[in-house]
Amino acid sequence: MNLKTLKSIIANKRDNSEFAIITNLSTGEVDLFEKKIELNKKFEKYSKQIKDFFEKKKNGIIDNSDLFIETFKQPTKVIIVGAVHIAQYLIDYIKNFNFKIYIIDPRGYFASEKRFSNIDVINKWPDEAFSEIKTDKATALIALTHDPKIDDPAIKHALNNNFYYIGALGSNKTHSDRCNRLREAGYNDKQISLIHGPIGIKLGGKSAPEIALSVISQLVLITNNR
Amino acid sequence: MTTPFDEKILEEAYNWVDTNQKVVLATVVHTWGSSPRKIGSKMIVNEKGDFSGSVSGGCVESAVIGECIELIKNNKSFKKLEFKVSNEKAWDVGLACGGEISIFLEQIKT
Repeated sequence: MNLKTLKSIIANKRDNSEFAIITNLSTGEVDLFEKKIELNKKFEKYSKQIKDFFEKKKNGIIDNSDLFIETFKQPTKVIIVGAVHIAQYLIDYIKNFNFKIYIIDPRGYFASEKRFSNIDVINKWPDEAFSEIKTDKATALIALTHDPKIDDPAIKHALNNNFYYIGALGSNKTHSDRCNRLREAGYNDKQISLIHGPIGIKLGGKSAPEIALSVISQLVLITNNR
Repeated sequence: MTTPFDEKILEEAYNWVDTNQKVVLATVVHTWGSSPRKIGSKMIVNEKGDFSGSVSGGCVESAVIGECIELIKNNKSFKKLEFKVSNEKAWDVGLACGGEISIFLEQIKT
């Protein structure tokens, strides 16, 4: 592989685009395949198989050929509401997974870029922030402020858009109050039961890194079982 | 799909090349039976034998490093390696899990 190809692969990764690398194992030639760009003519014979690998996000050698296909999937969006202490540990763990993180916190003193380098920190109220981020059922929400003014609008947005994971920090009491507020706002019990609250799997820890570990464990579990 | 752990190796490969190291990228391209790392798993090796990443659970890495150093020495651009249980090398490097893997080595050309 030449350095130019390696650079393009890294650039594609940084742009979070969906692409594949096609390596000819008998010549060492490497080509990039992107959805938007037409497949190089030399691969015409295998276009069906290449597209199949690409759609299924599979890696492997195409049968009866020397072509190795490697696919790169777009990261899953994870939105963290609350640029709190736990969030700092969370992003430490999360960076090892295929997640793209956004942090929302209207409180400027919390959400400073200094505390969260290399992360998109949106210093706005959730309703405003969500108008800037495209979200859908493949998005996850981690609400960490346990302040209804900030968490509730984010949770409502997540419920309305069928996020695959919604977790909210807070004690059993905080969570039951939250559920009551959501019920009053017109959400039904089935919807409310989709919220993981208190957030995380029980590890028994109380410190910020321990809570972050319990949250990331739950997020990975739900993501893998999706 | 290639995992983010392996994607990071590509950036590391670039940084190594950028600091004037000769770099070989090793990628798992095929597996049979049980093997510790999935297809797409990566490792990089420089001319001194420094390495990062993994292509197995430590079973074949030492052999792969040796092959990568050879590739750099002979100024070859690529090579395909196969590790099978029946392979005579299995005694040195064998896959304890009983699996078989194919690994593609390619030198990053500047």
